[in-house]
Amino acid sequence: MTSIVWQRRRAAVGSTWREFTRNRGGLAGLVVLGVVVVLALLAPLVTDASGLDVTKAAGQRWQSPSAEFWFGTDHTGRSVLLLTWWGSRISLLIGLTATVLSVAIGTLVGVTAAHFGGWLSAGLMWVTNFFLVLPSLVLAIALSTVLPRGIGTIVLAIGVTSWASTARLVRAQTLSVEARPFIERAKVLGGGHVHVIGRHVLPAVLPLVFVNTTLTVANAIVAEATLSFLGLGDPSMVSWGSMLRAANLHGAVSQRAWWFLLPPGLGVVVIVLAFTLVGRALETVLNPRLRGDR
Amino acid sequence: MTAPPLVRPSPRRGGGSGLLRHVAGKVGGALVSLAAVVVLGFFLFRLIPGDPTVTMTRGRQVDEAQIAELRALHGYDRPIVEQFGKYVGGLLHGDMGTSLFYRRTVAELIGERVGPTLLLVGTSTLIAVTLGLWLGIRGAWRRDSPFDRASTGVALVGWAMPAFWLGMLLSMVTGNLFPSGGMRFSSTPPDFWSQALDVAHHMVLPCLTLIAVVYAQYQLVMRSSLLEEMNADYLTTARAKGLRDDQVRRRHAVPNALLPTVTLVFLHIGLVVTGAITVETVFSWPGLGLLTYEALAGPDLPLLQGTFVVLAGSVIVMNVLADLLYQVLDPRVRAS
Amino acid sequence: MGILRRLGSVVGAVGLVASPLAPAAQAQQPVTLRVAIIQQVDSLNPFLATYQASTEVGRLMYDYLTAYDAKDQRPVEGVAKSWEKSADNLTWTFTVPDGKKWSDGQPITAKDVGFTYNLMMTDKDAATANGSFVANFESVTVPDDRTVVIKTKVPQASMLALDVPIVPEHVWKGVGKIADYKNDVTPSVSSGPFVLSEYRANEFIKFKANKEYWRGAPKYDELHFIYYKTVDAAVQALDKGELDLVNRMGPAQFDSLKGKSGITLNKAQGRRFNELVLNSGAATKTGEPIGDGHPALKDVKVRQAIAKAIDQDAIIARVNGGYAERGTGPIPPVFPDYHLTPEKVRPFDPAAANTELDQAGYPKGSDGIRVGADGKPLKLRLVGHTSRAYDEQAGEYIKSSLADIGIAVDVQLVADTLLDEQGVAGKFDLIFSGWGTNPDPDFILSLHTCDSRPESPTTSGTTDTFFCDKTYDELYAKQGAELDPAKRSALVKQMQQRFYDEVPAIILGHDNSLEAYRNDTFASFTIQPDPGGVIMAQNGMWGYYGAVPVAAAGAASSGPSGLLIAGIVVVVLLVVGGVLLLARRRGATAGDRE
Repeated sequence: MTSIVWQRRRAAVGSTWREFTRNRGGLAGLVVLGVVVVLALLAPLVTDASGLDVTKAAGQRWQSPSAEFWFGTDHTGRSVLLLTWWGSRISLLIGLTATVLSVAIGTLVGVTAAHFGGWLSAGLMWVTNFFLVLPSLVLAIALSTVLPRGIGTIVLAIGVTSWASTARLVRAQTLSVEARPFIERAKVLGGGHVHVIGRHVLPAVLPLVFVNTTLTVANAIVAEATLSFLGLGDPSMVSWGSMLRAANLHGAVSQRAWWFLLPPGLGVVVIVLAFTLVGRALETVLNPRLRGDR
Repeated sequence: MTAPPLVRPSPRRGGGSGLLRHVAGKVGGALVSLAAVVVLGFFLFRLIPGDPTVTMTRGRQVDEAQIAELRALHGYDRPIVEQFGKYVGGLLHGDMGTSLFYRRTVAELIGERVGPTLLLVGTSTLIAVTLGLWLGIRGAWRRDSPFDRASTGVALVGWAMPAFWLGMLLSMVTGNLFPSGGMRFSSTPPDFWSQALDVAHHMVLPCLTLIAVVYAQYQLVMRSSLLEEMNADYLTTARAKGLRDDQVRRRHAVPNALLPTVTLVFLHIGLVVTGAITVETVFSWPGLGLLTYEALAGPDLPLLQGTFVVLAGSVIVMNVLADLLYQVLDPRVRAS
Repeated sequence: MGILRRLGSVVGAVGLVASPLAPAAQAQQPVTLRVAIIQQVDSLNPFLATYQASTEVGRLMYDYLTAYDAKDQRPVEGVAKSWEKSADNLTWTFTVPDGKKWSDGQPITAKDVGFTYNLMMTDKDAATANGSFVANFESVTVPDDRTVVIKTKVPQASMLALDVPIVPEHVWKGVGKIADYKNDVTPSVSSGPFVLSEYRANEFIKFKANKEYWRGAPKYDELHFIYYKTVDAAVQALDKGELDLVNRMGPAQFDSLKGKSGITLNKAQGRRFNELVLNSGAATKTGEPIGDGHPALKDVKVRQAIAKAIDQDAIIARVNGGYAERGTGPIPPVFPDYHLTPEKVRPFDPAAANTELDQAGYPKGSDGIRVGADGKPLKLRLVGHTSRAYDEQAGEYIKSSLADIGIAVDVQLVADTLLDEQGVAGKFDLIFSGWGTNPDPDFILSLHTCDSRPESPTTSGTTDTFFCDKTYDELYAKQGAELDPAKRSALVKQMQQRFYDEVPAIILGHDNSLEAYRNDTFASFTIQPDPGGVIMAQNGMWGYYGAVPVAAAGAASSGPSGLLIAGIVVVVLLVVGGVLLLARRRGATAGDRE
């Protein structure tokens, strides 16, 4: 790629960023995300994972918050703070990987359906619409029941069931890009499918995909929490969903153990909200139709 | 066609046959989707390796002959294609097999649970739609006002919450005000009004939870489609005619924005179903969602298969109905 | 805004309708015992019902031939009042006394007994649940209305522990196919203390007191079993006064109710145990090996070392929250006649275990994991249920204990059905299992005989250990035919000692039964055994039958009364309606201003 193109792109990113920073909600979301991700990455460095082992639980059952256990203890005497901290890693990991899978499938299907047309396109669009209509959690539940328990299964179950909206979006965007004259020119000049898609379609579609990604992560994290809550998670891993499952099964509500219920749930809310805010901000910045409105 | 088309060109008739073709296409598409759900439901649950007869006979001393007999009884010894045929045939007769754990037919179990789910989901959707639309209209009309910001913020928080978590919080916070779960007390007198009151009392928390997590999307959609509508030229014209803002909003903008939003409500019914699964689990509401959860323990595959087909199928049906309704009601679509 | 206006008027209407109703809802209520039921009832048909909850509910409707005493569980009068056996121990004669009546007024006779047993012996469907009790019957005859004569093929020790509900012939002879009969007709025709009055699958099962019951009617009017999906939900309901009695509580839930006013806790000796099965060589009846168990576990020295290395007291303290008794043999301390107290208790001693393994030829490899003579490292799979918190936590303890003696453990938590499949097929090294036990030890002992192993590699047996030991089997045969209680007790203990020494499984602990009831509605319950016994899940119906309501229970219905419910609903609706109306009005003026 020529340096002019690069410069133009960099300038575009720069102006996008400036515009983004003007959206206070989006900026707040981004800051929160940054903090949470850094904390999650730091967990093995600043905390001792052995506290997650029930055989080495430091406290008594259901201790309310104290100087020793800031967030109290769970039904086995483990620190809720530690669990929440480590749980964020699994929740984020699953949320992000599932999103990558989902967005990858969605982009592939969307671009293919728009670029090639014909029966292939019709077929792909039918499948997309089918998945769009199907309640994704119900299918995800079915999938994670029949596959062996584990992180891979959850990622697969969420990724495979949530790509349809991305696909539809990408297809529409691809169609509008391909209708522009420069694509026609590229085709006339002998550019193959790979060239057209790689050089022209994808760069034009990616911003939209990016926006969509942030919103998909939010959904994926809630989906992970829901599946784990229903007992379909990896039983050997602590995630926010599995903590809430434990809270439900072992009597956090009847104990009035608010300290065990609040942190994982708030974790989900904060992360999802942050991703949503960032996504909405990006949408206003990148989606010209909405930008005109505001 | 007997009438010569050139004499009186009738746009309505032209629209009518287009509509008919459209309806046929939609219904056909939905039927194919339903078939796909059935196929998916069958093969997905055959993915698990192993022999269902082992589960049926656990802890019992059985010999080869009995196992073979069981297998024959349930058709597990037949080729997979034949099993599939039998399954589809059964479905058409409302036969979805027998639950491994309840030892009752799946159709019977599902039949028992449909009512409570319809009641809960119906009531919640109705209230959530009303609330969402109203907040959306207010927010759009006074864009960027404190009210708009606050209500959008609250909606986003609600949307970000896992339904089951909110449910647990609510039941912890409300203490003894509401029952801990279920749909009625066993000791309530059998007359209609006592029963209705009791059910209403039990429904407050699950309903609130479900509303809180689903109304946001209605509000946001209504808000943005009204915003779009308000930029339309005809509104400027209406204002220029000297109509009060209030009237413009009520007579023109809102009705036009309402239609796509309401349609979207039904297109998104799958989300409510999803919420219902966890909310019913938290509040032991005896509906299809709870049945799905119960089927997960084990897992009770025939039952899970049944709830999967019924839930997915009903969402598809709701969708096509919403779509058709939209075609019928929206003059713009009808004309095109 | 039309919708909102209409909503407002609906709110008003409901409020209006609700208020005059309140007094009606508060009308005279029958004295009711409300019990949480968490397990499924698979069938109300006593010939088909196998789940514990079903048999418990079935006991309320149908007496057995004999019953177990509430105090010490010895055989006492059931349908039959007296019995004698022949000198060769093959013929038993039971006498059904005059005067007992079914709840529909018909007399209970020996014919009902004969009908029930003969049905089970001739109709395969009727033998589904309890067929094992009559499998050894030669014949059952009824010479007259008062006498039943049972001839057995070989002497049977469990003749006074026939857990078979006796059904009324005049009702059941009209039943076509037993397998399809639900038996949910109300009112049921009962010989027990209660009559089924309403059955709503997954919501509740209601019973009314049987006024004709031969021991005298229960002291209250109705008994409701109410479904809860989780124990926690039931505990909340008990706390709120929606329920009177809850069992199967976890340690955390039990502790949470300590010191709450209006609630009495009952920590009872339980009949359930948790065990860790070691795959000592799974095989079929013919000895054909199945599965893929680790070969080192066939070595009894390895099994004994593992048993020594596991700190059972720590598991009981931390996983059971202290609410369990240490296990020895399968029969729990609640049955003192048969419970084993080993002469030499195996101590928790990892050091000794390490030494023994060194001597037995399992040296530690470079990675700290022991290796057998065949060069196979001692890496074991431990299979548990995803659905059980016990397996998850105890699994962690076992993993860290065995790591101390150079055995690596991979804990695999799987769905119940998968666990069953792996267990039946012998595809495990270590696996969690557990059983409930009966006063008569025959069944639980029979599980570990050679004959309990599966017929062929593809069928399932009743055993979970695949234990096959000549000494054990000989003792089993002897105890089954031994009718002298003291001698039988000694034989049963010898068998368990053998089991303890050979370690086909480690009994990790006998769970306590944790129960709680509201003492502001019910003053007392009959427990079994007394002292230290349970209210629910008894060998009998004493807990429910013997419940004594608080004298003035009629006045103090502790659940939210109809008035309260109505009041709350009205208030909530009014508040919601008010807020909406207010918001609407404010909104309207604001809109007008714009």
